[in-house]
Amino acid sequence: MTSIDVRDLTKVYGSRRAVDHLTFTVEPGRVTGFLGPNGAGKSTTMRLALGLDRPTSGTATIGGRPYTELREPLHHVGALLEAQAAHGSRTGRDHLRALAVSNRIPLSRVDTVLEETGLASVARRRVKTYSLGMRQRLGMAAALLGDPGVVLLDEPANGLDPEGIVWIRQLLRRLAGEGRTVLVSSHLMNETAAFADHLVVLGRGRLLADTPVQDFIHARVQPGVRVRTTDGTGLGALLSRHGYEAAQDGNGAWTVRHARVDDIGRLMSEADVPVLELTAQEATLEQAYLDLTSAEAEFTAQPQEA
Amino acid sequence: MSFQPVLHAEWIKIRTLRSLVGSLCAVLLATAAFSALASADADDSDPLFSAFFGVNFGQIAAIAFGATAVSSEFQGGALRLTFAAVPDRGRWFAAKATAIALPALAVGLVTGGVTAVVGGATLGSAGPTGTEALRAAVGCGVYLALMALFAAGLAAVLRSGVATLSILIPFLLIVSFVVGDMSGNVADFLPDRAGQVALHSDWDGTLGPWTGLAVTAVWTAAALVAGAWSLRRRDA
Repeated sequence: MTSIDVRDLTKVYGSRRAVDHLTFTVEPGRVTGFLGPNGAGKSTTMRLALGLDRPTSGTATIGGRPYTELREPLHHVGALLEAQAAHGSRTGRDHLRALAVSNRIPLSRVDTVLEETGLASVARRRVKTYSLGMRQRLGMAAALLGDPGVVLLDEPANGLDPEGIVWIRQLLRRLAGEGRTVLVSSHLMNETAAFADHLVVLGRGRLLADTPVQDFIHARVQPGVRVRTTDGTGLGALLSRHGYEAAQDGNGAWTVRHARVDDIGRLMSEADVPVLELTAQEATLEQAYLDLTSAEAEFTAQPQEA
Repeated sequence: MSFQPVLHAEWIKIRTLRSLVGSLCAVLLATAAFSALASADADDSDPLFSAFFGVNFGQIAAIAFGATAVSSEFQGGALRLTFAAVPDRGRWFAAKATAIALPALAVGLVTGGVTAVVGGATLGSAGPTGTEALRAAVGCGVYLALMALFAAGLAAVLRSGVATLSILIPFLLIVSFVVGDMSGNVADFLPDRAGQVALHSDWDGTLGPWTGLAVTAVWTAAALVAGAWSLRRRDA
């Protein structure tokens, strides 16, 4: 059992509820995206799960036990919280060596994770010479050091170049494929859609959704078709004759809701309405997310905290 | 979770930061250099303290060592990574304190030995006796280690090396001198004045060399307990 179980978790800082009666489970064998705007409580939840902050009420357990009861926890759980956690004056290798020794992880693992994260060539350079992307990779190396069954990563794609983003995507898929429990926070919806199987969505410390990615999109966003034509009147008449709901935007493009390109294309061809553009509107995680959070109107006016 | 791996990890962390190694070297250099200068221009009233005068400066490097070793954990969320690896915070802080104390004591003893030899050579026949010098050399080592740990405890409470040093350095360089010269017995119990009795040829207060170091040790223990309590109680 290597699931992360959050039960009725609440954390209050002064008068602010950073995490508000949160309950969810992160299952092994899939990548769970942890979504929410900045200040939604993602990082706080991760810190609570790692026993770094004390919950006001409720529990967070990993494999059924509070993190602080784990012996040599790096063998069970790897975490990436902040890219700046490594001291700038130490070399990347020494940083990992101290971590490995503290949990009796063989030093051969240090070189393995340095290879795995592409840092082998800079391992003996001081961390202050690293770019943000390299520091993120060092953070990933630290998270993977003990070959853990559970991985918690807070915004791991932060500062990575496009190559690095592809790398982290493949790495996350691989970790989940090996049966590990992977929780990855992000505020970037499209990025998360590229690697997550399941979503836990937070807003102002509360759980907004806990659902597979595809269900989340389909429940929230209906597919549509985008059309442009030179004969707007003809198109409008044609669509309303066949009972389609359509709206025209400022650029002369029409959006037909609940429609498929195959149907609209055939209709327009038969009615001799000229087609300039005909595209299917894919439902994206971003739309679904905005749809979900717009219901929580209080979001928009709230000052965001990191 | 046993203690030894955590101690080893903390030792690696100290050994791999140049600023920490540098401040340990500075303990030896500052103490020996200023002691040599002071004993070159000494009066005869207290030959032992003339020989060990440089400790006033060497201790600044010792507290910088102790404070920085702890405060480096408070930069950029390093402490969160540390506590994720070692969730038992009491055990971690004990390991950190040990990893500070052992090298500080070793360097302090070497410093004491070098200073005694240099002072003896400079002062010649007016210098301290052999037993005095040995007592002061050992006292110097213990005192510097205790001051490093005192700073480490304070840094854990204040969560900042800058804050710790900006309290301790003025205190050691100014307050302790001024208060010490003004008032009587109370000032003798300040951590630096109590511990430095061991470096004087004779003393007129209530504290002797070893009782003085014991008083410094009590201050240090209090700072460490406060630091441990603060680490355990607060969110990382």
